[in-house]
Amino acid sequence: MNSLDTLPKKKILSLFMTCGFPTLNHSKKIFNEMLSHQPDIIEFGLPFSDPMADGPIIQEANKLALRSKLSTQQSLDLIKYLSKYKNNTSFVIMCYLNTVRKFGLNKFIKNIKNFVDGIIIVDLPFEEEGAIKKSLSKNNIHLIKLISPMTDKKRSQKLLKNSKGFIYYISATGITGSNKLDYKEINRNVKSIKKMSSVPVLVGFGIKSKKDVIDISKKTNADGVIIGSALIQKYFDLKMDFNRYLKSLKKFIKEVKV
Amino acid sequence: MKTYKQPSTVGRFGDFGGMYVSETLMPLLLNLDKSYKKIQKDKKFKKELNDLFKNYVGRPSSLHYAKNLSKYINGPKVYFKRDELNHTGAHKINNCLGQILLAKKMGKTRIIAETGAGQHGVATATVCALFSLPCYIYMGSKDIERQKPNVFRMKLLGATIIPVESGSKSLKDAMNEALRDWIKNVRDTFYIIGSTAGPHPYPKMVRDFQSVIGKEAREQILKVEKKLPDYLIACVGGGSNAMGLFYPFLNDKKVKIIGVEAAGRGAKTEETAATMTSGTPGILHGSYSYVLQDSDGQIKEAHSISAGLDYPGVGPEHSYLKDIKRVKYFGITDKEALEAFQTCSKLEGIIPALEPSHALAYLIKAFKNKHKNKVVILNLCGRGDKDLFTAAKAIGFDADE
Repeated sequence: MNSLDTLPKKKILSLFMTCGFPTLNHSKKIFNEMLSHQPDIIEFGLPFSDPMADGPIIQEANKLALRSKLSTQQSLDLIKYLSKYKNNTSFVIMCYLNTVRKFGLNKFIKNIKNFVDGIIIVDLPFEEEGAIKKSLSKNNIHLIKLISPMTDKKRSQKLLKNSKGFIYYISATGITGSNKLDYKEINRNVKSIKKMSSVPVLVGFGIKSKKDVIDISKKTNADGVIIGSALIQKYFDLKMDFNRYLKSLKKFIKEVKV
Repeated sequence: MKTYKQPSTVGRFGDFGGMYVSETLMPLLLNLDKSYKKIQKDKKFKKELNDLFKNYVGRPSSLHYAKNLSKYINGPKVYFKRDELNHTGAHKINNCLGQILLAKKMGKTRIIAETGAGQHGVATATVCALFSLPCYIYMGSKDIERQKPNVFRMKLLGATIIPVESGSKSLKDAMNEALRDWIKNVRDTFYIIGSTAGPHPYPKMVRDFQSVIGKEAREQILKVEKKLPDYLIACVGGGSNAMGLFYPFLNDKKVKIIGVEAAGRGAKTEETAATMTSGTPGILHGSYSYVLQDSDGQIKEAHSISAGLDYPGVGPEHSYLKDIKRVKYFGITDKEALEAFQTCSKLEGIIPALEPSHALAYLIKAFKNKHKNKVVILNLCGRGDKDLFTAAKAIGFDADE
């Protein structure tokens, strides 16, 4: 059973958060708060020293987590601990390839098997995925595909063949948490993706508010949204006052759960 | 004897190399690869590039017999391949001209680049001025501080310099930021990578453009010595000057090849940039290669007195050449490089950059009173003007006295 296979049809909400941010103990509280809202998906970001596809906010979150000497094992243990409260929420890991490689692919899978449903490896393109996809699929973990506005139709067809879980559509040509949303372009591309694949298409990158979430659902054909940077941003807006941050997080998640 | 035919069509040097980037960049890289393959067969492109090499850069660079240094070493005959005489003072311009011609052909209207020592930044700013394209240079704030003359040069040439404050504030972080810029501005921007690092096709493309160094050196040495050299020596940071010299000799099995890395305060210390001596294979900036990393795969900060070698990664082709044992790699410390910097200045009347000073230091150390009757070519890939302040400070010279 993989809970990503039974995602609702519409208005899917996926929340991204960096593991160990700002410290391991605080991170646990953040994820507990997130879980209490029962979003459809939680994406667990594994901190990396050189997150080249991430914007300044997630970079900073990675830096804080690594400053407290968080190890990959600790991140995976945290996810395992949280899986006790998983209920219907799907668990997805988002990370860079070097983290998995250095940990060892088989050991990594052994550590997440049975409670992690999907994995997004940001810097693992279709051309390089071969053996990794095979091992993941043997263990019923979906390798989530990213499609960008630069991916043309021919390439999308190749990428989306046998896609599982959901498709992560990068809504802006940009790094996480940046650039403006172009609804027309999103709608055009999402439509074209949906012709090629039957799994849900989630829109990520640049979704910051309740209004963005509603607009995506009204103005485009997407099945849901991914929110990341905006969840973390609040911590810095509130001058790293953790208790106030936790409260504002609660409020924000309630808002975007439309 | 097997002919050397790396990389594979997907950019693999053995297991090393590849394309490890996000899906936003993948279509761009594939397109770049296609365009690069096309221009390789384009005679007009070749002619244009050769004209620029000759009349703008001043190629061929000379092959100078370093008589005094040879005498001092009391070993082999040492030749300098003098790429420090190029316009802009280093080998970097060779690659920049090739890439900007390609950018023009691809219809790109905005150029970005990363720089460490500032040599690649200066070379990029130079070709952008020549071709009237807007130029944005990412440079670590630590490097801006230690390479002030080059910062001013780039500004004079009309480039915008974007200081990078993340991580170790040097080359690695400048490259992260440049990649982020590229992801944001995929449609109009061409990223001129300055070394044989990064995702395919960069390691191959940069090597090809730089191989003019080795091609010339081969002809020149055959002319004066009537034989191939016994040794090639070059410094390795990302590895572009070294690949440029080495590549045309890789099939000549009798030519022994040595790459010299920056060992900072020592290859066994935490303050080193000797990737192949102290690192392990991993993924950084889109390719699989040796890298300085901890047990969790977090990339470590490098250290070297030379900003151009201060990089925790290395081009994938070097990793391959190390593993197949075609090239041997050694580390040289800051202190050793500084000594060689002074020795070369005094003996040959050539102030080398701190980068090739590492190669010089290795040559002096390993060849002293040895290998007589042998011939060595050392790539003098940059001049030392940019390093005067850094070197003066390290040596303890007060210019105001």
